[in-house]
Amino acid sequence: MSVVPEDASPSRLVDARRWSLNGATARRLRADRIARWTVSAGGLLIIASILGILVFILMEVWPLLSGATVRVARIVSLPSASLLTLLADEHRTFVAGLDTAGSLTVLRVEDGEIVLRQPLIPPADPAARSEHPSAGSAEAGATPLTLLDLSSQPTRGIVSASTSDGRVAIGRVRWPVTFDAQDRVTTPGIDPPVVVPLDPSGGPVAVHAVHLGEEGATVAGQLESGALAVLRRSSRENLLTGEITESIVRGEIPLAFRLSCLTMAPDGRRLYGGTADGRLFAWPLSGATLGPPEEARTAGGGITALALLIGGQALVVGEADGALSVWFRVPREDGSYALQRIRDFPPHAAAIRWISSSQRDKGFLAMDARGGMGLYYSTSGRTLWTGEAPVRAPGALAFSPKADAAFVTGEGGLAELSIRNPHPQVSLRALFGRVWYEGYGSPEFVWQSSSASDAFEPKLSLTPLLVGTLKGTLYSLILAIPLAVFGAMYASQFMHPALKNYVKPTIEIMAALPSVVLGFLAGLWLAPRLEQVLPSLLLMLLILPALVLLTGWAVRSLRSRIAARLPVGMEVLPFTVSLAVGIWFCIELSPFLESLAFGGNFPEWLTATTGLAYDQRNAVVVGMAMGFAVIPIIFSISEDAFSNVPQNLVSGSLALGASRWQTVTRVVFPTASPGIFSAVMIGFGRAVGETMIVLMATGNTPIMDWNPFNGFRTLSANIAVEIPEAPRGDTLYRTLFLAALLLFILTFVVNTAAELVRQRLRRRYAQL
Amino acid sequence: MNLGRDDRTRRSERVGESLTWLCGGALAFNLLMIVAVIGFIGYRGLDYFWQGRVALCRLEDGRRLLGEISGREERPPTPGKTLEMTGRLQLRVGNRDVTGAGFVWIDDDQIAEISYPEDALLLERLEWGHFYGRAVELRRGDEVLARGPDEVWRAFGPLHEEKVARREAIERLERGEIGDINFEIERLRLAGKRLARRDLSPDERALQEAAIAHETKEREAQYQVLADRLFEERESLAEEQLVMETADGERNAIAVGEIVRAVRPNAMSLLDRAGLYLGRVREFVWDDPRESNTEGGIFPAIFGTVLMVFIMSIAVVPLGVLAALYLREYAKQGVLVRTVRIAVNNLAGVPSIVFGVFGLGFFVYLVGGSIDRLFYPDALPTPTYGTGGILWASLTLALLTVPVVIVATEEGLAAVPRGTREGSLALGATKFETIRRVVLPAAAPGILTGMILAMARAAGEVAPLMIVGMVKLAPTLPLDHHFPFVHLERKFMHLGFHIYDVGFQSPNVEATTPLVFATALLLVLVVTLMNVAAIVVRNRLRRKYASSAI
Repeated sequence: MSVVPEDASPSRLVDARRWSLNGATARRLRADRIARWTVSAGGLLIIASILGILVFILMEVWPLLSGATVRVARIVSLPSASLLTLLADEHRTFVAGLDTAGSLTVLRVEDGEIVLRQPLIPPADPAARSEHPSAGSAEAGATPLTLLDLSSQPTRGIVSASTSDGRVAIGRVRWPVTFDAQDRVTTPGIDPPVVVPLDPSGGPVAVHAVHLGEEGATVAGQLESGALAVLRRSSRENLLTGEITESIVRGEIPLAFRLSCLTMAPDGRRLYGGTADGRLFAWPLSGATLGPPEEARTAGGGITALALLIGGQALVVGEADGALSVWFRVPREDGSYALQRIRDFPPHAAAIRWISSSQRDKGFLAMDARGGMGLYYSTSGRTLWTGEAPVRAPGALAFSPKADAAFVTGEGGLAELSIRNPHPQVSLRALFGRVWYEGYGSPEFVWQSSSASDAFEPKLSLTPLLVGTLKGTLYSLILAIPLAVFGAMYASQFMHPALKNYVKPTIEIMAALPSVVLGFLAGLWLAPRLEQVLPSLLLMLLILPALVLLTGWAVRSLRSRIAARLPVGMEVLPFTVSLAVGIWFCIELSPFLESLAFGGNFPEWLTATTGLAYDQRNAVVVGMAMGFAVIPIIFSISEDAFSNVPQNLVSGSLALGASRWQTVTRVVFPTASPGIFSAVMIGFGRAVGETMIVLMATGNTPIMDWNPFNGFRTLSANIAVEIPEAPRGDTLYRTLFLAALLLFILTFVVNTAAELVRQRLRRRYAQL
Repeated sequence: MNLGRDDRTRRSERVGESLTWLCGGALAFNLLMIVAVIGFIGYRGLDYFWQGRVALCRLEDGRRLLGEISGREERPPTPGKTLEMTGRLQLRVGNRDVTGAGFVWIDDDQIAEISYPEDALLLERLEWGHFYGRAVELRRGDEVLARGPDEVWRAFGPLHEEKVARREAIERLERGEIGDINFEIERLRLAGKRLARRDLSPDERALQEAAIAHETKEREAQYQVLADRLFEERESLAEEQLVMETADGERNAIAVGEIVRAVRPNAMSLLDRAGLYLGRVREFVWDDPRESNTEGGIFPAIFGTVLMVFIMSIAVVPLGVLAALYLREYAKQGVLVRTVRIAVNNLAGVPSIVFGVFGLGFFVYLVGGSIDRLFYPDALPTPTYGTGGILWASLTLALLTVPVVIVATEEGLAAVPRGTREGSLALGATKFETIRRVVLPAAAPGILTGMILAMARAAGEVAPLMIVGMVKLAPTLPLDHHFPFVHLERKFMHLGFHIYDVGFQSPNVEATTPLVFATALLLVLVVTLMNVAAIVVRNRLRRKYASSAI
């Protein structure tokens, strides 16, 4: 059995193994190889998949910041004249518009075939003719009149035009959908047009605006005389007789300038106008009466297009030099409103001619006279896409109702652009900067994600949540750092070893207390009681340290006589007792202090004297609960750092005559300080990500202030509150993933830094 | 000069000593806090089961209130008037169906007299919570079975026992046979949908459809029979009625079958109370919750927690051990492995909610959604795996706790002395054999420590689970007698979430707080015991290798 040859060089060893191979050994070696591969592959896979968490979250967040993709879905050549104003149905099967002959036409998008066609103003309208002889001057067959200003309101399917004979005509297209077995069938229909005589003298109406509601129609326009006229026609049905009474009111104010554009708010309560010399007006409108306007000035060489975004609060203004801006009516201090330019978009190369706002969100499309197009989003201020219109000499532009397509007509026919625009609301500025939201007096940081309607503007600023996170962390660390670090210093340097064996596991148990239990105690038990005894907190700050000193002194002076049995380093036990007594004393004293110094009610006093709000579930409560959760972490790590300071350093210091305390402060503490730093960092990481405590012990209101008696909302609590409601792939969903990513990165970076510091410290200890 | 130096030294020593005391004070404060918190939870949690006396309060205005004193509040003195404390009592008066409020506050100065009548009767009911009052009579329909508090009390016992047995039978019927039939009907519905998708000849299809329809009809007929029986049984529960009189003299008839437990707290001996205490603990641990979790037991929550932790351990231990083996035994030690180790370590510090978000996006929506499309297309659009469930919750927690297992296992592996390995290798064992037969057994306590710590963490973690699978009230347990027995896709209840939900989402916070304390105590106990176990195992491990590594 001479197995190993004498020169056991590696190669010989291999040989030796080979020649001793029998079946069993071969199997064993194979098993060894398989195990090696399995473990390596499995281990690598597990580690990769752990790190894959980060990748997955990143992938979910990524689409947030990508722009819109717009591609030409089709171009169909139109059989006859081009359309001058456009509407589209929800499913992108039909478009409607006014053609050059003044007819309301419905086309099938697929092939451009005309499905319906009807003159907007009925040609044989004897009433109209008799009322307006000027219109009747052209005999039947020829173009009876010219349509001057054309517009469309895609939300309601309304197309309108003003005429050269003083009338305004409103046509309405409906797209009723029926289901034939499984297939959806849209059958477009045109309502009988509403024709309203705006100018009794029959002069041309250069610009107009309409509002068609349930109760009637409101029409506004500038007359030849320059006057701005409003006519409101409402019909009311008598419930008893079924008789319909129609009432017409008309109002007019003189204007000294000519308007270039006019548009009406979707509720018919306000009229916006722009002039060719760059003036912008907003008139309040009640019934048919116009109030005094708010006025503002633009610098772009004249207003060429106006459109209101969904909700009717934001006005998009296009100007002759291509400038594009969003305006709000901003409340001023005296209660009045002023038109204010809120944000600008990159200018186009030519005058903006058409603006079509989305019916889904605060986005809009703009097109200039040369066919340059852009897709923009108001809240985030994002330019999502720019490009050229796919048809020459564009004549009209429409956003589809679902905001997933746009239609452009021009000489080349009708072009359908399909738009994929998943997350327009989000930009870095909208997430982290101040944003001027509709209805706000100034730009602010706001988190308000829930949306009741499409017109709601989701406010997705993460800043208040970040501030809330830091606020909660700060208040908990204020409590935790001194208690944990000094406690650890005492435990490692001064405490009796026998006691230490109990203290360390106790602190470990403290670390293991589920945070939901702490949150419950803080939110349901501590918060209401703390409100009653708040002054005692101030009292405790003073009394407790004094009491500790007193106890220490008492123990020392007693030790020489009776208490010799209490060894040095066991002072903690009497301290615990005296602290308990002290806390009880402070709480008992609190009502008296409150009635003496704070008028009997601290929260009221606080609000009255400092103006700070008092919320029952506030940062102090969270600070105490989360401090409790963080203390054991900081304690354990700093205790390690203190205990691992090489003994020779301590001995050397003591040998040179330094006292115990001097040694600790001048030698041990500086040596261990990197370890303490990393302990604090890790505690910080824990506090930043803590969810249940803040969820339960704060009111979760995303407000931004540092008032310790007010609540807040943290990133983590925000995720817990909102993600169950967020549909998958939605902007809110991804924004919450972004919040998770922020938490991940924040804690990962902090922990890594702490870990590196700790490793370096360990190496340094090894060298000492 | 020497003297001055001595003085300075002495003074600095004095100052040093005082500052030492302050540090000691900090430590003492920490210890006090932990003791106070645990003691407080323990006290309030255990107090939940204790039956106190029932007090009859006669107020100055002549009203009478019957209930348990559940709290007292000192009111701060009004400024400028007196410095004397006034207070008020909180009385749990129950009878929510009669008075609307389960609790009342009474100012001290309103109370004229407090007495503890012997015949005060406390009823725990299936619905509407406690009833406090005096028994007047026991009747079946119009027939009076007993009259007067004592006679009723004697007659009530046996009758109630019978009703409880009947109620349990009903429950068995509901859960057992009716549950089975519902399960079958659902299965048939899905089979029908599956059939619609399959490529079959018309004859074949008609045949199978008829078979399914026939079976469904049969099941429905069976269901109807059982439902009728159930209805009858339920009726019989309400046959006898206990007529109660509130403190104000208002009479109320309560069906005997609706009563969970009836006690006369003021007539109980200490032993009776202890028995009641144990009975309530048993009920708490083993029974289902009632009244939207605010009463009854928390068995489903305990069961859900245990099962989830169990499934998680099945996932996390092999994975963690494998990764640790690779890192410690197979990987080439270098910068890369060190970096990976730091990364894994730090993953333990990443907030749990982040794992929850990941679990939702990855497990629930991506993996679960795909499973649904591939294997459960019949049930769509109702998601099967594409929604939160116990499997996803367990896997999410496994990810969360895998660093704990890796770190503990690595520590265990590192503690195995080099000599032991080399001995094994020298005897001709391959590396794998050495690891399997020598290293792993020696490192077992380390692995065990890691596993226990992981389980403790998982048991106490709530935030990620809120996102990936917990519900406040799960109708069915994730484990039952229907194939395949373990239903990993089901939602489940969890102790930690129970605390959050009952404590914060419940409409009647005052009534539920004691229950939440009891739940919290249970959770704290479980988690603490696990941690203590881990500490003990770890200390053993350390001692063992401290002695053998010479």
